[in-house]
Amino acid sequence: MTHTITPRALVLTGYGLNCDYETDFSLELAGAEPHLVHINELLKDEKTAAAATSLEDYHILVFGGGFSWADDHGAGVLMASKLRHHLGEQIDSFIRDGKLIIGICNGFQTLVNLGLLPGFGFQYLERRVALTYNDSGNFVDAWVNLRVNSESPCVFTSGLSYMELPVRHGEGKFHAPAEEIDLLFNNSQVVLQYANDNGDVAHGQWPDNPNGSLEDIAGICDPSGKIFGLMPHPEAFNHFTNHPDWSRRKEALSRQGKAISSEEGDGVKIFRNAVEYIKNL
Amino acid sequence: MVSRLEIRLKKELMDAEGGGITLKSREYFGFEVDEIRVIRVLTIDADLTQVQLERIQTEIFTNPVTEESSYSPIARDFDWLIWIGFRPGVRDTAGSTAAEAIQDLLGIKLDSDQPVFTSKLFEIRGNLTRRQIEKIAGQILANEVIQQWKIHSKDDWRAEDGIGFPVPRVILDHEPRVRAISIQSDEELRKISRERYLALQDRDIPVIREYFSREDILKERNKFGLDLPTDVELEYISQARSDHCNHNTFRGLFRYHDILTGHRKTVDNLFRSCIEVPTLKIMEEKDWVISVLWDNAGVGRFDDENHYVITGETHNSPSNMEAYGGAITGIVGIYRDPMGTGKGSKLILGMYGYCVGQREYHGRLTPHLHPRRLLDGIIEGVRDGGNKSGIPTPFGLLVFDESYLGKCLVFVTAMGIMPARIGSESSHKKATSPGDLIVMAGGRVGKDGIHGVTAASETYSEHTPAGHVQIGDPYTQKKMHDFLVEARDEGLISFITDNGGGGLSSSVGESARFSNGCRVALDRVPLKYDGLDQWEIWVSESQERMTIAVKPENLDRFMTLSDKHAVESTVIGEYNDSGYLHLEYEDKTCAYIRMDLLKSDFPQWEFDAEWTSPELRGLTEPVFGEPRHHGALLRAILSRPNVCARNWIARQYDHEVQGGSVIKPLIGKKRDMPTDAAVIRPILSSTRGIAVSQALNPHYSEIDTYNMTAATIDEAVRRTLSVGGDPNHLGGVDNFCWPTIEYHPNKNPDGKYKAAQLVRANWALRDYCLGYGIPLLSGKDSMYIDGNLEGPFGERLKVSGLPTLLFTVCSVVEDITSCVTMDAKFPGDLVYVIGETKDELGASEFYQMLGSKGLHVPSVSVEELWPQYLALHKAICEGLVSSCHTVSRGGLGVHLALVAMAGELGMEINLPCVQTAQELSVTQVLYSESCGRFVVTIAPEKKDGFERIFSGMKLGRVGVVTESPLFCIRDAGGETIIEENQNELKDCWKRPFGELI
Repeated sequence: MTHTITPRALVLTGYGLNCDYETDFSLELAGAEPHLVHINELLKDEKTAAAATSLEDYHILVFGGGFSWADDHGAGVLMASKLRHHLGEQIDSFIRDGKLIIGICNGFQTLVNLGLLPGFGFQYLERRVALTYNDSGNFVDAWVNLRVNSESPCVFTSGLSYMELPVRHGEGKFHAPAEEIDLLFNNSQVVLQYANDNGDVAHGQWPDNPNGSLEDIAGICDPSGKIFGLMPHPEAFNHFTNHPDWSRRKEALSRQGKAISSEEGDGVKIFRNAVEYIKNL
Repeated sequence: MVSRLEIRLKKELMDAEGGGITLKSREYFGFEVDEIRVIRVLTIDADLTQVQLERIQTEIFTNPVTEESSYSPIARDFDWLIWIGFRPGVRDTAGSTAAEAIQDLLGIKLDSDQPVFTSKLFEIRGNLTRRQIEKIAGQILANEVIQQWKIHSKDDWRAEDGIGFPVPRVILDHEPRVRAISIQSDEELRKISRERYLALQDRDIPVIREYFSREDILKERNKFGLDLPTDVELEYISQARSDHCNHNTFRGLFRYHDILTGHRKTVDNLFRSCIEVPTLKIMEEKDWVISVLWDNAGVGRFDDENHYVITGETHNSPSNMEAYGGAITGIVGIYRDPMGTGKGSKLILGMYGYCVGQREYHGRLTPHLHPRRLLDGIIEGVRDGGNKSGIPTPFGLLVFDESYLGKCLVFVTAMGIMPARIGSESSHKKATSPGDLIVMAGGRVGKDGIHGVTAASETYSEHTPAGHVQIGDPYTQKKMHDFLVEARDEGLISFITDNGGGGLSSSVGESARFSNGCRVALDRVPLKYDGLDQWEIWVSESQERMTIAVKPENLDRFMTLSDKHAVESTVIGEYNDSGYLHLEYEDKTCAYIRMDLLKSDFPQWEFDAEWTSPELRGLTEPVFGEPRHHGALLRAILSRPNVCARNWIARQYDHEVQGGSVIKPLIGKKRDMPTDAAVIRPILSSTRGIAVSQALNPHYSEIDTYNMTAATIDEAVRRTLSVGGDPNHLGGVDNFCWPTIEYHPNKNPDGKYKAAQLVRANWALRDYCLGYGIPLLSGKDSMYIDGNLEGPFGERLKVSGLPTLLFTVCSVVEDITSCVTMDAKFPGDLVYVIGETKDELGASEFYQMLGSKGLHVPSVSVEELWPQYLALHKAICEGLVSSCHTVSRGGLGVHLALVAMAGELGMEINLPCVQTAQELSVTQVLYSESCGRFVVTIAPEKKDGFERIFSGMKLGRVGVVTESPLFCIRDAGGETIIEENQNELKDCWKRPFGELI
């Protein structure tokens, strides 16, 4: 591919998904050409036996947040079943072509149910880890501190060491058997961990760790770093006024005669990394 | 063959749902439960092979990491087992998505409409009695109106049988039939009205009879084989004439009499004189007002390309009966109003207001649900309804008062956004024309919400539907929402409205007025199950449905999009200009009514309204000396239920979705202080924003509802201004909740007084909307907030809710980056109080704590306050303001403290610097609830510029923000009367509900 291309991103919509509007906006800020595509547009039409849209036309596949199929049988479970069944091969070749996949919140839940994560040994079928009910038993909306693992091969977080993003979920507790978690750490597949105000990992402490995730895990990638899933919402930090402290920071700067340097929110960096990666292929 | 799959979390995993129930069992009833674990049950009524069953078990319904499952019973080592399942006809979303997934995976089509049913098993461990288990089952787990339950003890449990194979399918062995009804006399029609729960007004009855006996009408009817009115027709008329659809109370005639002055006044139609006329007048002056007073919601201009849409309503009675179901149906329902406004809008925001009895109520009365359980259920209902709709919920209010034991209030408010134009057409305009097709989209029709289907008669027979309750389904509605927005943008929608109260009868009936007629084939309406009578199809309130007018040439494209979004849409008829509403069933006419019948002059409702002034009621100011422990007093007020932190509610509501959150529900250094108002950025590519806030001050009604209304409007205005809202763009929404105002010597002896309270509230609404230039973009009134509660001796006591107004003010913010939050930001900043403090502690939080009402309720002078509001806006726009906060319930003492606590900083306050109207005691200055006031902090170097803007106005520089955590207040003598660590104040403020998550 040449350097001049504009990476095309596909944002899934429909069946109770949401967050598509701000995800689309963030991708655009990041320099991608995003398209909102209803899941059914990827499926073969019964009459014509053809699909309106194909994954191969895209470089970045985004599984966004929401409540796919109402999530009553486990978050992301029915969506994973549907996609595996109808798009399994398309997704496999999408991965083989070295393209990028990101799953946010419900999308992360879908990726682990699809088996695309953690994808140990590049096997993308098995469910080896899970996202289950928050220890609090309740949905929570809160901004969290995130420690970014600079060792991880994750394409989306390259150059990042710390982030603040909102979590909004009732089923975000990362759970896996100890040996799987060891494997994740040994392969540097743990990308994001919930942290405290000092940037140290939360050690399970609520509210720094908002859901009881084992080892404070908030996001993981596959061994290649091209498939990334996270519970926090980078697309919800697309403008500096999204941050809970923005009015305090702005005031602090104005006392020093300064203004906010960039209006863009830090969450966009994750999408820009993806865009840059594709451009530089 | 029926199979049953049981799924549970693996032993080593914490069962959060079970944990929650264990907690509630302790909280509500003091039961000591060791452990509760949940088993999900799928009953599959389909002939599947062993292989197929194993595939769906392993490939879909069992997570190998966290779950285990089996087709035979897996409950083990429990003391008690509770099974909870839906009653027939109750929407089982999980069942239908499971069926969808099974058919998709196996590539088969299951014949039955509802092949999969979900239910739950609860394994309970602990030493509990059957009666305790019944209490947990009936009062925490199950909602008897929509669910059925069974209890098994470990002794009577037969593991080989388990729970059997519950298949709660609706089977109505009933042949739909239209009945002709004889109405020879008024008495006969009155009797029918009673028997059929038509709730026809006595004064309407002659008008209705006269219509059906007219020669010309009869001749027309005979052409279609009709003679006597049919049940369909009477149901239609009763719906259309109901107070809900017609606002008969607000449009009534009030004979107002002030007993003290002897002044008498006849008020004809409160709606017209206090809402319509002022709003139209303001509309002439404000070009941003786009559409008001006729549609499902009001429309205002956001920018040149977009309009915003706003409306609000209540869902009190259903929530009072079944908190979760009522509340989720309320929030999901209000979201359909913006969807059905103009040619449809996209939802961008939701808000809530709850009025309930004290969470810790231990009084003598027994409400239907204890406030604690009621509030939990309401909170959870709005949480699921809002979050699963993908709509942010960034603001809400909660008021505790014993008077709401009779009936809780659940206010829900929704905002949407629409492009100003669709193609060449204005998006806020809509009409039906002859030839347009009538399309019903969304859910199917069942017996849901049909009046008269009572629990008593049908609840317990095995296959009869839970007719009288509805449970909102945000998933189905979200799909429909996405579909309709796309259809709108392609110009496929000529007219759209929602199916709420009255179902098709009101959505089709009202939309047909534009074309002046319609013909509907009721047999084409898709049903959840067979056996509904024609009238039931017509008035059913099954949720998640919209009625849309589609031009024939657009139908194919409309249906294609409907398929794409997996939404069911059906053509059920056609609009025409026949002048008649014409309903058919299998080609036989079952209703034929002139469109103008409902326009014909039904008699106006009439009320006697007798105002007994506060003085005449013997209200006086309490006599009290100055407290010696002001610090302790402040701490006490901060920890009162209506002042303290209720952060646990906001945290469960997604307020970030859609990516436009600017000012969040909880703000400040530790993000734990309630904001004055919410600000969102609905169009992400623009830095324009919407600021919106609400106020509730029902306690002032105990003195005078005129002042209550004035203070509530003023507070909502100030809240919106304090974050940076534009005083020249203030859109209002009025939501009244009032006790019954019809006088009855025994049933409602103070009805005349309550009627006068309503008149006075409306006068204030008129005066202050005109004063502040607030058009009422939307509004709803909900009467009858009374309940009859049982006392300890089996006696029943009528409890009427305080006359309550929830007032919403929305504004457009030019540049969100100039918005201001309420937290003190830097040590050394100057603290100001804008506005004058008066001897106005009547019905204040402080007096309430003393156990007295008082007399001097806050009053509002627009002339005095408006210039200060304009000045504040100027100061904010010029970037002079570091923090700004509205002084409301609790007074200056409380709100100065909140500003300090939000910034985790101290304050040095010199009380005499507060501008006062007269000589006031320290306590009066600290706890008066005078309107029009703000607490503002600014950087010292901005002092001159700031004070210049306010020159000649009521502005007091009252102190400074300090690094030290001490919150200090000095009196005139320079003596420190309060010196409290703000961290400790915050603890007091957080403690009451601190445990709740």
